[in-house]
Amino acid sequence: MITPTATPLSISGYSLLALFFQFLDSFGFIVLATVGLAIIFGMMGVINLAHGEFILIGVYGTALAYHAGAPLPLGMVAGVIAATAFGVVVERTIVRHFYDRLLDSMVATWGLALVVSQLLLIVFGSSLDSISTPLGNVSYGPYSSSVYSSVLLPAIAVCVLAGLYALFTRTTFGIKARATIEDPETARAMGIDTDRMYVATFAIGSALAGLTGALYAPALGSITPNRGNTFLVEAFVAVVVGGQSVILGTLAASGVLSVFNATGSFLFGTFVGQMLLLLVAIVALRVLPDGITGYVDDWQQRRRAEE
Amino acid sequence: MSTPQDINVRQKPAVAATGGGVDTILATKRLTKNFGGLTAVDGVDFSVDEGEIRCLIGPNGAGKSTLLELITGQLSPSAGDVYFDGHDLTGMDTHARIDTGISVKFQSPHVYENLTVAENLRVPLQRADGDTDGVLAETLDRIALEAKADTGASDLSHGEKQRLEIGMAVTLDPALMLLDEPVAGMSIEETADVANLIRSLHDDGMTFVVVEHDMEFVRQISDRVTVLNQGSIFRQGPIEEIEADEDVRRIYLGENA
Amino acid sequence: MIGDSSADGRSLLGRVRDRLEGPNTIGDSTTFWGAFAVVVAALAVYPQVVGPYTVIQTSRYFALAFLALSLCFIWGYAGVLSFGQVAFFGVAAYVFGIVGINLGSVTGAMVALVAAVVGGTLAAALLGYFMFYGGVRDTYVTIMTLVVALVLNTFMAQTAGSEWAVGEAQLGGFNGMNVPSLAFGIGQSGLVLERAALYYALLVTLVATYLGLRVLVNGSFGMTMVAVREDEARTATFGYDVPFVKLVVFTIGGALAAVGGVFYASWGNYVDPTVFGIGFAALPVVWVSIGGRESLLGAIGATLVIERMRTELSSGIGPVGSEWALVIVGGLLLTVILFMPAGVVPTLDDLADRARSRRTEQSQSTTATEEPVE
Repeated sequence: MITPTATPLSISGYSLLALFFQFLDSFGFIVLATVGLAIIFGMMGVINLAHGEFILIGVYGTALAYHAGAPLPLGMVAGVIAATAFGVVVERTIVRHFYDRLLDSMVATWGLALVVSQLLLIVFGSSLDSISTPLGNVSYGPYSSSVYSSVLLPAIAVCVLAGLYALFTRTTFGIKARATIEDPETARAMGIDTDRMYVATFAIGSALAGLTGALYAPALGSITPNRGNTFLVEAFVAVVVGGQSVILGTLAASGVLSVFNATGSFLFGTFVGQMLLLLVAIVALRVLPDGITGYVDDWQQRRRAEE
Repeated sequence: MSTPQDINVRQKPAVAATGGGVDTILATKRLTKNFGGLTAVDGVDFSVDEGEIRCLIGPNGAGKSTLLELITGQLSPSAGDVYFDGHDLTGMDTHARIDTGISVKFQSPHVYENLTVAENLRVPLQRADGDTDGVLAETLDRIALEAKADTGASDLSHGEKQRLEIGMAVTLDPALMLLDEPVAGMSIEETADVANLIRSLHDDGMTFVVVEHDMEFVRQISDRVTVLNQGSIFRQGPIEEIEADEDVRRIYLGENA
Repeated sequence: MIGDSSADGRSLLGRVRDRLEGPNTIGDSTTFWGAFAVVVAALAVYPQVVGPYTVIQTSRYFALAFLALSLCFIWGYAGVLSFGQVAFFGVAAYVFGIVGINLGSVTGAMVALVAAVVGGTLAAALLGYFMFYGGVRDTYVTIMTLVVALVLNTFMAQTAGSEWAVGEAQLGGFNGMNVPSLAFGIGQSGLVLERAALYYALLVTLVATYLGLRVLVNGSFGMTMVAVREDEARTATFGYDVPFVKLVVFTIGGALAAVGGVFYASWGNYVDPTVFGIGFAALPVVWVSIGGRESLLGAIGATLVIERMRTELSSGIGPVGSEWALVIVGGLLLTVILFMPAGVVPTLDDLADRARSRRTEQSQSTTATEEPVE
């Protein structure tokens, strides 16, 4: 995070740099908070309202392993595995009943969210010890930024998106997955086991949520059972603004939203940053009801029509 | 909206005169629709005279249903305009277009499955004033579903659903009726009933555009036929001419081969 | 159906029943209305037979039932699932507090009531306009409404500083805001709605709202809502302006939530940002899903039962500790949505219908003269 010690409105090289780091911080956060939700929404149309709790399981897995003596990277692996396993169980027992009842799937996953966060409270108490953020800070002029959350996490976020892009465009899994999104009926007729594709997709989405939790476990400060909500607003807004195209949508929405969020946060505090996020989302929805990627599709069609 | 009682005897609509003896009620100008790389409707100038029963035929994928959806506004065109009865429909919402006097029956039966037959009919009917109960009874009689008024629509046979849908479209008392495959999946008797229904509504002054594959049915109802192929108008003319046209046969056969 | 009242079709009672009954609500039999009258009468004498604590708690459930009705109306009848009905509930609660504090009299409380309901309703109309005229649909609507509630939560939570005040009303951030009681009268004298008086005011308003909503959903607007819920595209082809219908529905839903919010704030003389929080936002969805989204009565009943259960669990009554209340509620929600998707009340009604028609068939086969129950 950024600690401004000078008056923030004075424009200088340093403050522009600080704003840039704030943007990176915000961008990484929105991408990572969104990507697990976006992949499940984009592929299956299901909005997983327990997304915050999936992230939370990543946080708890990491923190518990770390406090048990594991090195932090190993703890993070534990967090990802825990969230993935949980995701597979949830898909098999609950979500698969709702593929043709999308609104009900939101209600069901919300019920799940209530149960999970409350169970974490009952089992592990009101908070776990926090994990100190690795890598320290870099100072420049009157400002300082966390290397971990303003440099490393945004870099990982970009790598995650690049990895997903490769997965969807370069592998047989990706081709089958896209065929399933495009037209499940035809995909089945072509011998694709769509049921397995859905489990796999849900597992990937859960793993990414777990990864987000694992990565942010040392950046959250106190670890409490309601920490999942920290990620929800950003994730929901980005999915809605991005539209149903997973990678492009997440990237575009995160880029646009973090510009507003970072500028608002930098100049007026995190609260204004979040309010701006919402305002942008509402305006974006009013103008582009199918999200940015829906608009891009539409625009490409129109351009072809004019040619 | 005219009163429901005159469902059989509607007044002649005010039509923008286009010169000559007959008035054009519906016209599209260079209407185009692209889906991704596919041009489903390609610069179509399609016009229908008032009081006509026009059939639209053509191989699968010719753009017939897309053309209807462009007229009702369910799809927005990539380019071009739609004019109806003196209104420029281009850019209007579907519900506003319906209010200018258009009704539509979709290709696959599209009734409210969870409502009864009478409730299905009440949805369009309750927008009219006056004796809705009378029109309801009359419509049930017309589509021969009086006995099933309180039956759930999901329990109807395919043919009954088709008739119910036509009934729902008729209750709006439109000047122009768009029917997409009204007799698909119907028995010969049911098909004849629908043909009679269309002719009786036509006698009362209703204009029809009917998308249909069943040439026997087309012969029963229509005088003029438009053939669409690959998004464009391929031929247009009297039914006998179209049936005798070698090129029309070729595009149908080419599609089957 | 309506047929059985044809004999008394000209009597006032018959005409009233015609308006109240129809395909969109459960309970059209004389038996139902008899039972309904008995339950309302029982609720009317309830405060005389139980302690003041129970009366006060039950008043709270009544206030929350408006929130349930609000969601039931928009989701069950028009298919618009909102996870953020608490936003309009909370906006009304805060507006009631702000206006009430600043005016500070009995008349002021009445003005505050009107301002609060108008405020909550306008908030819903504004959000509804942006969503439905923007073409926002389905899951996007659900997410947007939730995000609005969560952002209001964040906003109100940071209003602790003394600069966050409207006139004399301190918003108070996490600490919340004290709110005056609802009252009816002129100047400084009048009936202040507290304890039993508040209970009766809520009971009367709730019964009237329930009956009013029955008339609405069984009338032509109800048919329009159901048509929109079943098939938006088809309904547009009958000339209905679907975005406008949804806007009207959503606005009425906002008004219902706002009424609940005013009562709720007045009940506790207090409102804080948790009314916008995700935990509270989940509750209407729980009540309505469990009670039955297409049943106004189910929504009210489930609210009363579930909230009573939560109160008892949190006051240590029952086999498990209060921390299990949310686990039980969440588990119940999951179970119902998995195994009884229509909800408890419609499922029971369905079973009763089937039992009745079996009985009718049997009696018809033995004694053909016997009239069916309905």
